[in-house]
Amino acid sequence: MAEKNADILLLLEGTYPYVRGGVSSWVHQIIEGLPHYNFELVFLGGAPEHYGEIQYQLPNNVTKLHVHYLIENNTTEIKAKHGTKYKQELFDFWQQLQSYFRDCNDPIPTELLKFAFETLGKKDGINAADFLYSESSWQVLSKYYLSYCDESSFIDFFWSYRNLYQPLFKIAEIARGLPKVKLIHSISTGYAGILGSGASVISDTPFLLTEHGIYTKERKIDLIQASWIKDSEQSLGKNLNTEMGFIRRMWINFFEQIGRTTYQQATKIISLYDGNKQRQIKDGAEPAKTLVVPNGIKTVRFKKALLQRPEKTPMVVGLIGRVVPIKDIKTFIRAIKEAQSIIPTLEGWIIGPFEEDPKYYQECQLLVDSLDLIDNVKFLGMQNIAEILPKLGVVALTSISEAQPLVLLEAMAAGVPVLATDVGSCREIIEGATAQDKTFGKAGEVVAIASPSETAQQIINILQNEQRWREYQKSGLERVQKFYDESHMFARYDKLYKDTMAWPE
Amino acid sequence: MAGIGFEIRKILKKNTLLSVFEAYGYAGLIGSGPWLLSIIALMLIGILSLGIVLPKVLIIQFLTLVTYMMAASLILTGGLQLLLTRFIADLLFTKDDGQILPNLLGAQLVTTIAALLVGLAVWPLLPLPVVTKLIILGAFVGLCNQWLGAIFLSGMKEYRLILVTMLSGYSFMVLLAYLLRDWQLDGLFFAFFAGEALLFFSFLFMIIRRYPGDKLISFDFLNNKKVYYSLFFCGLFYNIGVWADKIIFWYSPSTSIEIIGTLRASPIYDLPIFLAYLSIIPGMAVFLVRMETDFVEEYDRFYTAIREGASLNEIYLLKDNMIQTAQGGLYDIFKIQGITVACLLLWGEQILTFIGIDPNYKTLLFIDVVGVGVQVIFLSILNILFYLDKRFTVLVLAAIFLVVNVVFTYLSVALGPQFYGYGFAFATVISSVVGLFWLSKQFEDLEYETFMLQ
Repeated sequence: MAEKNADILLLLEGTYPYVRGGVSSWVHQIIEGLPHYNFELVFLGGAPEHYGEIQYQLPNNVTKLHVHYLIENNTTEIKAKHGTKYKQELFDFWQQLQSYFRDCNDPIPTELLKFAFETLGKKDGINAADFLYSESSWQVLSKYYLSYCDESSFIDFFWSYRNLYQPLFKIAEIARGLPKVKLIHSISTGYAGILGSGASVISDTPFLLTEHGIYTKERKIDLIQASWIKDSEQSLGKNLNTEMGFIRRMWINFFEQIGRTTYQQATKIISLYDGNKQRQIKDGAEPAKTLVVPNGIKTVRFKKALLQRPEKTPMVVGLIGRVVPIKDIKTFIRAIKEAQSIIPTLEGWIIGPFEEDPKYYQECQLLVDSLDLIDNVKFLGMQNIAEILPKLGVVALTSISEAQPLVLLEAMAAGVPVLATDVGSCREIIEGATAQDKTFGKAGEVVAIASPSETAQQIINILQNEQRWREYQKSGLERVQKFYDESHMFARYDKLYKDTMAWPE
Repeated sequence: MAGIGFEIRKILKKNTLLSVFEAYGYAGLIGSGPWLLSIIALMLIGILSLGIVLPKVLIIQFLTLVTYMMAASLILTGGLQLLLTRFIADLLFTKDDGQILPNLLGAQLVTTIAALLVGLAVWPLLPLPVVTKLIILGAFVGLCNQWLGAIFLSGMKEYRLILVTMLSGYSFMVLLAYLLRDWQLDGLFFAFFAGEALLFFSFLFMIIRRYPGDKLISFDFLNNKKVYYSLFFCGLFYNIGVWADKIIFWYSPSTSIEIIGTLRASPIYDLPIFLAYLSIIPGMAVFLVRMETDFVEEYDRFYTAIREGASLNEIYLLKDNMIQTAQGGLYDIFKIQGITVACLLLWGEQILTFIGIDPNYKTLLFIDVVGVGVQVIFLSILNILFYLDKRFTVLVLAAIFLVVNVVFTYLSVALGPQFYGYGFAFATVISSVVGLFWLSKQFEDLEYETFMLQ
């Protein structure tokens, strides 16, 4: 073999290296942190026009980057043969496959999945033209509609059906073209997940799955809000037992099935914190396969910040995050107002970009105005975190949704007590995840979401009790060193990779 | 003819017994209007000239030449007529009205050149004075252009005005022929020329007023990205098909005589088929009312339902309705033509005797009446297929019609007088039966093709 194959194939959907963000930083961190492995990357995108230049300098241990787009409008003009007899057996199988996507309670059986990935998109299998234009395909489609979907708009159903299943043909083709590696690692379920499952099955390669968020849940939220899906009146009125339109349900089921099948095929299913692990189990992941590997940070980066801390704790509460509704900045502002009645010099700094949602930013400013906090609450925009942390007395997070917020870990590494709502892994970070972890004590306080007075109360508790403040700082420093340093994360992934790659060539 | 349905519907809304006659009469006039009026006009010209234009053979020469001109102009422009009809419909759909006039003028330039070339090719074959030949050439060019102008009118809703214009044009032609009949053949041809020219310019006037163009001339109608060339061949094959049996009879020695130079006519075949064509007026009326009104309505309902999000069951139901309307329409045409055939079978002999035609033509007349009757059904099938946008099917059907008509007309000529007319009838029956089967198959696959093959 002329070219040396990579060890690990990373499957990335809409993230690294084209789009910046938490997941992408993590991927970059893992590749750089495990230089003794070679990585080959597969980027899956929607349409080419949605992505620009590569956003990261690819580390040296990346051997190759494959880029594939699922929505490409160059369906090869193969004329589909007419007649319902044409490829009849294949379409029977197709019907069977598709029934798993319709009714997503059981994952796609491995044999069927294997057959699908060996057949779809092949000229003598069911190719895209057969799917799009053949009479057999029409038979399956119309039978599906007539059996399960009686009153919704047929044309909407028709296009949803096509848009839903068409990417599978492309994915199966991509899977067949992947290089032989020792391990496939997908960083989400979704299209990357099903690609990993299929590729793993047809090439008999072990398959790891890491989920940062829960893909199926996020997709579900998108789909429930999606305005491009028209609900028929029936589904909004009389027919309440379906709760939502058939077509919306069809999309959701599709992604649920993809998630379920990915869980089934993965050797190990990794999440960032226990909450997500429970969610995965609820969504069909076998508990024995699941494990939590939290994200880690480079704690040494914050050594200097810790040394720079002033003797006297500044009466400043910092919120590090984007100014968007999900961070619930307004609760933060109200909390500052209430806490100010006890600590008149209290300041609240909002550290993070505010361009994303100008309307929300404006509302926040109006709130600051009307609460007469102009001198106390400041929008600082993007800042160097390591430089600003020594100037804060406490870091607060009022988010209504989080996964595993790295800012809490960074604050702890810089010796700042933290305060956060009880979302994502915030409680685990602040109070400890395991029994051993809990012995370190609390690194701050956890509050309920959307409750300014509780938040204010805890701000006062932390800032006005010197001794408690010291305890929180100490616990935080110990916990972050012990559990959340990136070296732990690298070690765990190194072991995971080694253990899973149990079958060398 | 889209649009006429609404006019007819308005009349039918009056809901009196008389309104039914009015609607169908109106439809009959419009459906068969142009050629009916022109036939009546030519007959009148012939009758008025009797005893004046001498010898009598000159009148026959005139009518034969006019028939040749009709045949040649229809074959020459038939393809372009279909091509342009669709092109204009597409322009109207995309609201590109400004393109209509320039393209009409472009099409007329092309047609004029083609007509002149045909005229010049025939020129040496006609033993007539140069002046007469010039007038004939002018008349031919006018006739071709008039057909092209006429197709634009269907897009306009002012049927009464159009009908009145045609009536005036042909009246003018007859009047002029009456006034000029002393000039013998030249006078008759000049009247014909002037009548066609008047009609053409009246049409052009209406079109210009209705669709002012944004430039003078355009040849977009020849751009193969914007038009369907298959339509051209549909029109070409169909029109050759319609004339094939006549031409074969004109040029088979046993069935024809020389009229002028190389132009021949078939006294035994021409008159019965001519009379038979008059019998399709009721059929054409039914065709218009049922196809252009009822069928189009169901057709629109079907596609609107799809667009607006009907369920598949509703779509099936609406398709069934559409098929039933098509069936009903075809059945009604069948019935009305059947009655016409029955009447002619009963009284055909008396009618022939009354007009002063040898009753030996009887059998030929009967079979021709059947043939033209089925031709209306064939036309309806093609019309439905055009609505379903099955251009390829129409093309094949038109080709079948042409081939069968040629082959079986030859055969009938060879087999002898008792078989005359069967070739044509056979051609219409065969192509209609094939067309029906095909249409039925295409209705069956309609949803599949509508959704999967768009």
